[in-house]
Amino acid sequence: MTLSHINRRLHLYLGLALLPWFFMYGISSIPFAHTPFFERRDAAKRLPLWTLRAEKTVDVPVPEDAGGLRPLGAALLREAGVNGTSFGTYRQSPTQVNVYAYSFWQSTQLKYYVDQKKLTVEDRRFRWDHFLTGVHARGGFEQDSLLDRSWSLVVDLVSLSMLLWIASGLYMWWELPGQRRWGWVAIAAGTASFAFFTLRL
Amino acid sequence: MISKLVRRTHMYLALFLFPWVAMYALSTLVMNHRATFLARYGDGPIPYERERQMVYDGTLPADADLRIVSTQILTSVGLDGAHNVSRQKDGTIVISRNDLTTPRRLTYSPADRSLLIERQQRRANAFLERFHRRRGYATGYRLDTVWAVSVDVFIVGMVFWVLSGLWMWWEMKITRRLGLTAIASGIALFAFYLGTL
Repeated sequence: MTLSHINRRLHLYLGLALLPWFFMYGISSIPFAHTPFFERRDAAKRLPLWTLRAEKTVDVPVPEDAGGLRPLGAALLREAGVNGTSFGTYRQSPTQVNVYAYSFWQSTQLKYYVDQKKLTVEDRRFRWDHFLTGVHARGGFEQDSLLDRSWSLVVDLVSLSMLLWIASGLYMWWELPGQRRWGWVAIAAGTASFAFFTLRL
Repeated sequence: MISKLVRRTHMYLALFLFPWVAMYALSTLVMNHRATFLARYGDGPIPYERERQMVYDGTLPADADLRIVSTQILTSVGLDGAHNVSRQKDGTIVISRNDLTTPRRLTYSPADRSLLIERQQRRANAFLERFHRRRGYATGYRLDTVWAVSVDVFIVGMVFWVLSGLWMWWEMKITRRLGLTAIASGIALFAFYLGTL
């Protein structure tokens, strides 16, 4: 088995195994690139995005430092009865903390009004464009669950594979002497366009 | 004939778009490991450094739309391009110029006609993240629209690479069994994540 053979097979099988991710990243980029279109389309339905599920009085201390926000978010989720979900906690204003709990299929938002000691729980209406952007943007190693972290590991694998596809693709192109001239033209045109955007945008 | 066309399009599209692929791959790695950069730089906004300060001697049209004012100021200092603008309670106009390599903040105070230009500290991770998130259709600038079109081309390219890759694989009979195993494993794992996460 030659290096060329290994290179070709690696390019192919890695692509086939990671095909769902690559396809998902492609398709889900559409709602990101054309957000106003999807927003207008949804606005025409005249349906509220968030629905109030519950409202209750809660008294929990709010930490000053950002590091203490995550434990606060976990405490608020317990108060709201929202369990086993990925979440992020954000200080919306000096008197409001938001907790955003999410899965691929469902999103819940908690708003804690510090001065009123009031906690509201809202559920987001399902939208396919939000589902796609949610899958696309999922990542990071901040969540506690092993499953979440393993997804992020796959995201790393997909990114590294994309770099590997570049290297292995260039190798395969170089092995085709008849394609070198036009190949150089394509590489030069792409690189020049990209450099232009980088410097001028 | 079709087979050759598919193979050549797959290759030449990739050769042309490889800088986009590299940028999106590297920026995804950076965003996936954001905590590492937060630990290094802290979680606050990226600080700005003073670049220059001057007295702005242009005449700004009274009661003009804020976008017209910001475009005039940016043009007069040679920085016109995609930006956001806001007016503070004290009348100060703050323009965030979304330059890809060097984002700037311009603060114009009508009271003394001073214009402060600051540039954001350079950080490789922030640069890559800006690139990844850059959209273009809504800015009103032609160059940004062209960039947005290039992103659309890249999206079409990604979908085409998937479909043409499947086509090319199916043409190589010897790789079908192992290829099917790879596809089935990938789909099963993806479906598992969709069902559980």
